[in-house]
Amino acid sequence: MADSSHVEHGYACREVVELVSEYLEGAMTPEQMTRFELHLNLCDGCFSFVEQVRTTAGMAGRLSEDQISDEMKTKLLAAFRDWGPE
Amino acid sequence: MIVPAGGVDVADGDATLVARLRDGDERAFEAAVDSLSPAMLAVARGYVRTRSVAEEVVQEAWLGVFKGLDGFERRSTLRIWVLQIVANIARKRAVGEARSLPFSSLEVGDDEPAVEPERFRGADEPYPGGWRSFPTDWRTLPQTRLLARETLDLVDRAIAELPEAQRIVITLRDVIGCGAEEVSEALMISDGNQRVLLHRARTRVRARLERYFDG
Repeated sequence: MADSSHVEHGYACREVVELVSEYLEGAMTPEQMTRFELHLNLCDGCFSFVEQVRTTAGMAGRLSEDQISDEMKTKLLAAFRDWGPE
Repeated sequence: MIVPAGGVDVADGDATLVARLRDGDERAFEAAVDSLSPAMLAVARGYVRTRSVAEEVVQEAWLGVFKGLDGFERRSTLRIWVLQIVANIARKRAVGEARSLPFSSLEVGDDEPAVEPERFRGADEPYPGGWRSFPTDWRTLPQTRLLARETLDLVDRAIAELPEAQRIVITLRDVIGCGAEEVSEALMISDGNQRVLLHRARTRVRARLERYFDG
């Protein structure tokens, strides 16, 4: 990750955008998290970026799920009845 | 901010649900089919070519679930166990179809950036690596715009167009609401790869939304 980019707040914005999922997934070390949040506190652009990613995930959660057909559900229920305890 | 709707979490009620299924409780079975089938379909679609074959895989997996139910022990959650059954059946089918699996290291290994490099300042500029212009604050957008049918359709299309492994991971994680561990266990990929795929998927969909909102 380390390169010659701007490191004033620990991470450069270009690095923050690649770390956002580690952050949202709770996969950072406490030290990384402190540096990351320090950057967010000081950088409106990255703060907005993280919110955008979070919002994107939330919007995906509003999509309808692909479900199996009712016909198959009926078949499965029949199979379940056959299988059921004697 | 929008709270992810997520899927029904069967994990907490696993023991009760399994007991009811073992007793032949039909309502419990119908609830389990409704809540688990979307994730089962999504996993199956990672391995087989068509939706109809994926449905067959799900059906076969349910029969495997009945058979295995008596032996189910809570070493994992019910959902992980069920998804692993799906993945095993689907993998066999995929071998039969002579199809390459999407979760090979190759597909996980490409490293496209989350944001185009041109959006950041160059090494010879002030604040290298910083934004040239900030992303907009979506919190200022009206909720009606964020949740408009048109916007959600765009998200749906953007997900559909993702590379396969990314599409499956974001569908399981964000659309259906599975946990990270459930997805990596079911797909037999590492935590790290699961996260990379989710990251690429979410940032690609984000980029599509950004172009739409900033249009």
